[in-house]
Amino acid sequence: MKRSTGNRLIPAVIVRTLKEQPVIIALIAVFVLFSILFPDRFLSFLNFKTILRQFITLTLFAMGPSIVVVTGSLDLSYVGIWMLGGILVWLCMPVFGLLSIFVILLLGVTTGFVIGVIQTKAKIPSFILTLSLLVTYWGLTALLSGGYPRPVRGYGFITTRLIPYIPTTLLWSIPIIAAAIFIMKCTKIGTYLYAIGSNEEGAQLAGINVDKYKILAFTLSGLFTGIGSMILFQHLGGSTPVELNLNTVVWPLVAIVLGGTPLMGGSGGPQRTILGAFTFCVFYRGVYISPLHPYSVQLLVGLLLIVSIIVSARGLKSVTIT
Amino acid sequence: MTTRPGLSREWLRKNMTTVGPIVFVIAVVVVFQMFNPFFLKYQGIISLIYSMSYFLVAACGLTFVIMTGSFDFSVPSLLKLSALLCVLYIEDLGLWVIPLALLLCVGFGFINGLILAKFNVPSFMATLGVSIVVEGIARYLSKGFLQIMDDKAFRSLSTTFIAGLPSVFYWGMGIWLISIFLALRTPFGRRTYAIGGNLIGAALSDTNVARHRIYVFMLSGFLSGLAGVLYMAQMGGGSVEMGADMAIPLFASVVAGGTALTGGVGGPHRTLLGVIIITWIQAGMNMLAIGRDIQMLTFGLIAIGMSIATIDRKRKIIK
Repeated sequence: MKRSTGNRLIPAVIVRTLKEQPVIIALIAVFVLFSILFPDRFLSFLNFKTILRQFITLTLFAMGPSIVVVTGSLDLSYVGIWMLGGILVWLCMPVFGLLSIFVILLLGVTTGFVIGVIQTKAKIPSFILTLSLLVTYWGLTALLSGGYPRPVRGYGFITTRLIPYIPTTLLWSIPIIAAAIFIMKCTKIGTYLYAIGSNEEGAQLAGINVDKYKILAFTLSGLFTGIGSMILFQHLGGSTPVELNLNTVVWPLVAIVLGGTPLMGGSGGPQRTILGAFTFCVFYRGVYISPLHPYSVQLLVGLLLIVSIIVSARGLKSVTIT
Repeated sequence: MTTRPGLSREWLRKNMTTVGPIVFVIAVVVVFQMFNPFFLKYQGIISLIYSMSYFLVAACGLTFVIMTGSFDFSVPSLLKLSALLCVLYIEDLGLWVIPLALLLCVGFGFINGLILAKFNVPSFMATLGVSIVVEGIARYLSKGFLQIMDDKAFRSLSTTFIAGLPSVFYWGMGIWLISIFLALRTPFGRRTYAIGGNLIGAALSDTNVARHRIYVFMLSGFLSGLAGVLYMAQMGGGSVEMGADMAIPLFASVVAGGTALTGGVGGPHRTLLGVIIITWIQAGMNMLAIGRDIQMLTFGLIAIGMSIATIDRKRKIIK
């Protein structure tokens, strides 16, 4: 970075923002690149609508885990909550009627709380704990559903179009995103979580009840995943798959890391995840409409993940990592 | 003579990580034998051996990685890649395809280690990224079709019967013994334990930590590739979907044997029992026609339970 902040052509505010959030450069670069390469297909109305729909999915999945990543742990259980929740809604439908959608919320909060308690008391690495739980939930989903996706009708009102051209789920997700950012930026809880993420022992010595706030972080993650899954349940067709797809697990992670929340915790947060998710969707759609073989899309997503974790891990030279 | 320690509670607590898996194995055998009288007949044993041998090879590689306190998520993907490479290019290259596949897997192991050790990225994240790339390559090469291996020489690698047992069993046992020797009797093994036990201490005592971690990941890649070759020789075919749900059973088998996730304890000699527990449950359930859903449920719960049981809580907080 040779360009000093005193350069008159570019205001200092913009330079600082770009330095703090290099993902904006990536977003502009990807956008311009695909606009030049495929002007009529990429810049079409349909494409933007698809990007927006995909963006909602990704953001709602990634919002909860990005709170956990701030504390330096990892929560992979979101797809499990969504899958098992969908089947539980189908099971509860005859008993509770339309209220049964709140089962997903309940499941999310319970799962988050249980993960938090196990992680803090038994000290298992969170990624392996949540991964095992994800597989357990998948088995439970397949068991309860009998191996078929079970569609549920009656929640069409969630996706009824209120404003033309804008998916209603986007309107639903705005308060959720706002709440997540508010909790992380404007409350005591958020400050404590950042403190735990940047230095756990220091936070302990400063009198923060680390275990309590870590459990709270996982519970919040479960809560946001639960609310998000309630919307996504209808957004993604009113039923959930019974086969675990690694892609749905990995994409929100890519969004979080791409947004600039380092996996060691301490900085970043939900507000960055929005940018990361948007960049990922633009990138994905761009590759998708390009003449590349569909199977190579996965390859590029993997490379994107590797590059973004390497970039986001820079400046962590003194930290020992397992 | 002093009094013998006997089966006192103190002794039991000290040796829990040894006694636990043995009891578990006996319980598994007894339960399945009760439900299925063919479990320990000759055919049943052959099927148990087929299900555990290639798995043992892959699990030995993962054990070394977990001993250093890291995690390798890419083992199932590398297994899949090497198996598919074998079946796709055996006609063009003959048996030379095996060293090629192994070399490629070692290369990916090197990339894993490089990302972890040089760029300071948490190992599960680095290996997750690499495994997606590998998965993409496998999908691209196989185009998603089911591939059938019909090369007799290649298939005899795993399916020749020596003294009544298939040769894949001897491969598995051989690799297991070499791994034990490597872990317990060589400088390589001692460095592995040292890094897992105390990373900073190992670095201060003149161990090139970064280089050694790369070696460990290369070993893990090599053994996953070998497991893939044996798997393909044994199964005689497969598509890109194979090994998709192996990550958790593999991890569970290493942890069930008594190698803690914190690193520095356990070792390949323990992994055999863990592999027996996991693969025999799997094979036993398959014999009883219990579906994959219940199997996954079981392995997920075993993985969580065993990590809680084996982990050393006195160690520094892990993320």
